[in-house]
Amino acid sequence: MSNLKEIKRKIKSVENTQKTTRAMKLVSTAKLKRAETAAKQSRVYADKINEVLSEIAYKINQYKVGGIESRFFDVIDNPEKVDIVFVTADKGLCGGFNVQTIKAVKRLMEEYKSKKVKVRLRGVGRKGIDFFKFQDIELKSEYVGVSSAPTYEKAQEIIAEAIEDFTNGATDKVILVHNGYKNMISQELKINDIVPVEEPAGFESESKSLMTLEPEEDETILDSLMKKYFEYNMYYALIDSLAAEHSARMQAMDNATNNASERVAMLTLAYNKARQEAITTELIEIISGVESMK
Amino acid sequence: METLRLEIVTPEGQIFSDDVKDVTLPGSEGEFGVYPGHASLVSLLQAGVIDIELKNGNHEVVAINWGHAKVDENSVTVLADGAVSIAGDSESQIANSLENARKLLESMSDSDFAIAAATAKIESIAKSRF
Repeated sequence: MSNLKEIKRKIKSVENTQKTTRAMKLVSTAKLKRAETAAKQSRVYADKINEVLSEIAYKINQYKVGGIESRFFDVIDNPEKVDIVFVTADKGLCGGFNVQTIKAVKRLMEEYKSKKVKVRLRGVGRKGIDFFKFQDIELKSEYVGVSSAPTYEKAQEIIAEAIEDFTNGATDKVILVHNGYKNMISQELKINDIVPVEEPAGFESESKSLMTLEPEEDETILDSLMKKYFEYNMYYALIDSLAAEHSARMQAMDNATNNASERVAMLTLAYNKARQEAITTELIEIISGVESMK
Repeated sequence: METLRLEIVTPEGQIFSDDVKDVTLPGSEGEFGVYPGHASLVSLLQAGVIDIELKNGNHEVVAINWGHAKVDENSVTVLADGAVSIAGDSESQIANSLENARKLLESMSDSDFAIAAATAKIESIAKSRF
């Protein structure tokens, strides 16, 4: 009989877990919708600003427009110091979402280390930060609590330091790594070299004329455009990552709920078998008792 | 007829995307018009209004608070921080969007003069149309 109770207890426990996972799935589905719209809206702007910058980079490198000498567009073949900014979630229970980003960052780090390049990390999101801390890898800066509620101001704050170091010459390259939203069921890891800005391979500008900048007396325009570019890319990484996090969690929780259902079915079968067995044993006992009384 | 591809995007999404005849932009150095075949240019924009002449000759007005414009021979891309398209079928809708535009311009109140000029312009365009 104790066996029966044991199984019953297990069924109850699995069912409770299932309730939690189902609720978490529903929450993620609702949040995903909001995050997805935000990401989709911002994607247009992010794409456009990247396009504009690519074209400027292309023109600067092709024609040396107006003698602009900016570190932002100076592509270096052998960077000596690299900043990696990565975005993970604050929370787990979302399948391989965080691990993918962490693995990509580790791979990048090893790649650069083998080339004797100094790598510094800037982390957003508790999961990634905890991982690297556990591995005794130092992080230059940490931001927790941003991943779940990204704002433009936060993005500005995060990227400002990295860009300042780049402008001062303390670093030669800044890479942004995040796991982005592809569709409801899949995520896409994005590794984006934000500075120096380089036009995509095979980039051909339709326009062949020289480019003038206005106002031209100083480089204010380029500076303000670059600032916008960094901040927006950072902001986009944050919201894209949030949408991806919710889609990953939704999927993980859906799997968990299904697994729980399977487990309950299996346990129920075991429970019924055990119950039948107990009845059979009891019957045999009664019959043999009656037989012996004859 | 030669046309320009005009795209206006803000962090909140795309405001405008179509082929147009010409467009007038509020550059930080002063207003400038762009016709097809304009030389490549990247310009800073200040709070003001973008006056668009559509293919059918009608005008459309979009108020922006701050941004950048990238111009080349056959396309204009405006990256604005905030933009409000002034459009609508009825007078109340127009009044509503005018109010939104004014708020947007005021949120960037680093230059009262520019705002006053821009609001006056918006109003005159709106009045001339209705």
